[in-house]
Amino acid sequence: MIKQRKFDYGLSRMLPWIIPAAFVCLWYLVAEMRVLPAYFLPHPGDILGAGVTYIFGSAGDGMYAGRFLMDAKASLVRVAIGFAVAAALAIPLGVMSGRLPLVERLLDTSINGLRAVPGISWLPLALVWFGIGLKTTVFLVGLAAFFPIYLNAASGVRQVSPVLLQAGAMMGVRRLRGTFAILLPSAMSYIISGLRLGLGISWAYLVLGELTGVANGLGAVIMDARMVGRIDIIIVGIIIIAVIGRVSDQLLDASLKFCFKSARRTA
Amino acid sequence: MTSKLTLIASRKPQAAKAPPILEIKGLGQIFKANSGFLTVLEAINFNVQPGEMICLLGPSGCGKTTLLKILAGFLNPSSGEVLLHGRPVLRPGPDRCMVFQEDALFPWLTVAENIHFGLKGKMAGRRRKNEMVAHYLDLVGLASFAAYLPGEISGGMKQRVALARVLILEPEILLMDEPFAALDAQTREGMQQMLLRLWGLLSHTVVFVTHDVREAVTLADRVVVMDRNPGRVKKVVTVDLGRPRNLDDNRFHRRCATLHDLLRSG
Repeated sequence: MIKQRKFDYGLSRMLPWIIPAAFVCLWYLVAEMRVLPAYFLPHPGDILGAGVTYIFGSAGDGMYAGRFLMDAKASLVRVAIGFAVAAALAIPLGVMSGRLPLVERLLDTSINGLRAVPGISWLPLALVWFGIGLKTTVFLVGLAAFFPIYLNAASGVRQVSPVLLQAGAMMGVRRLRGTFAILLPSAMSYIISGLRLGLGISWAYLVLGELTGVANGLGAVIMDARMVGRIDIIIVGIIIIAVIGRVSDQLLDASLKFCFKSARRTA
Repeated sequence: MTSKLTLIASRKPQAAKAPPILEIKGLGQIFKANSGFLTVLEAINFNVQPGEMICLLGPSGCGKTTLLKILAGFLNPSSGEVLLHGRPVLRPGPDRCMVFQEDALFPWLTVAENIHFGLKGKMAGRRRKNEMVAHYLDLVGLASFAAYLPGEISGGMKQRVALARVLILEPEILLMDEPFAALDAQTREGMQQMLLRLWGLLSHTVVFVTHDVREAVTLADRVVVMDRNPGRVKKVVTVDLGRPRNLDDNRFHRRCATLHDLLRSG
């Protein structure tokens, strides 16, 4: 039993890295054989160099040297605000619509109608309303993240067994406490799924919002690099967003598990 | 002669004079079904005496669970009323606690936390509450499983936790909705004996729903035999067996046979 688990542990530590490693190897081979021109697909070594300069370089070393901290900070702030606003609106609304048929009736048509509008079609309108910069990006991120959080919270609450609520009622639990002590914990795994989906989409819409010509941010760097033909920086940007997106997803999951028993024990 | 009479009387304190704790008067329940209305319960009348163990026995579909839900206050009857100490029952409350048929523990709370749940908001120190939890864990024989999650323990253990978490609220009436139906025969018998032991110890009033004749005869002072379509009280039978009951003797089997016949008769 214990032996088995040890083996599984080692293997499961390795497993997530197999696909990225294989991908890099393949890429390396293709680049070494020079079947594709460098402006089409640069050598991984060059990407590494560009990445190191971008992250650790000091301002004088080149066009993008040392910009990473500034860009990452700008992007993180935008995602954080947009995502937080979305979660703060979507969870209470979702819980209410899952629990109260009247609220569901009131909200469902409008929300599903809005949901059908692709996020990108809000971009021109957002530019008119909010101009280029923080507000537009936050608006797009918040709008996109709202729907998965809302829908998952609503279906999570809907699937809560009425027996649990009855059990609470007979133990003298009133509505407000019932919401926090029974309803939310029972729906926790759905709420977490919604939040994680929402955070993932937040990063997508962050880049969209930053493609509009803001001065800094990870999306802005990618767009900027395209203008000047620096494909290496584009790829660096993509990889950095992938890494930050994955890390932020795990941080979200870990912090929910840290804060809530129900997240730790049932999700 | 006189002394013998008092002896008999004291063995059955719930008989005769004490006012009933629960009065079920002309209770009826009609549900709206797809095509028209469905009469689930009709003209239910009986009383429950304080400290009595009463079983509602009937085939599935006879409305016994519905009746229990009305007693608990989860459901309002279409007609008639339920009186608790002479006052109508309108909503659920910790004076009438239910042990559910299915798994109704909170899966994100440990065994001890589940039992502790109903104590929140009650006026008692943290230490006092923890002592109570430990006491009731002990009563149902789960002291060493305090830190387990419901998903990690067996069905029988779960129902013991369900019992402990309502007993800790010291309810006057314990409502039990086929709580042991999903357990294997051996575990079920163990649970029945445990319930009888706890009942002797804490002397609650128990209303126990079952479709199992043997279970009814094992547990009940009186059995309310129900009929279906619509759900009605067929007969209230007093189980005149002493306690502890010998589940193998003839008198026990005869009581079972009588109830069986009663259930089968049109």
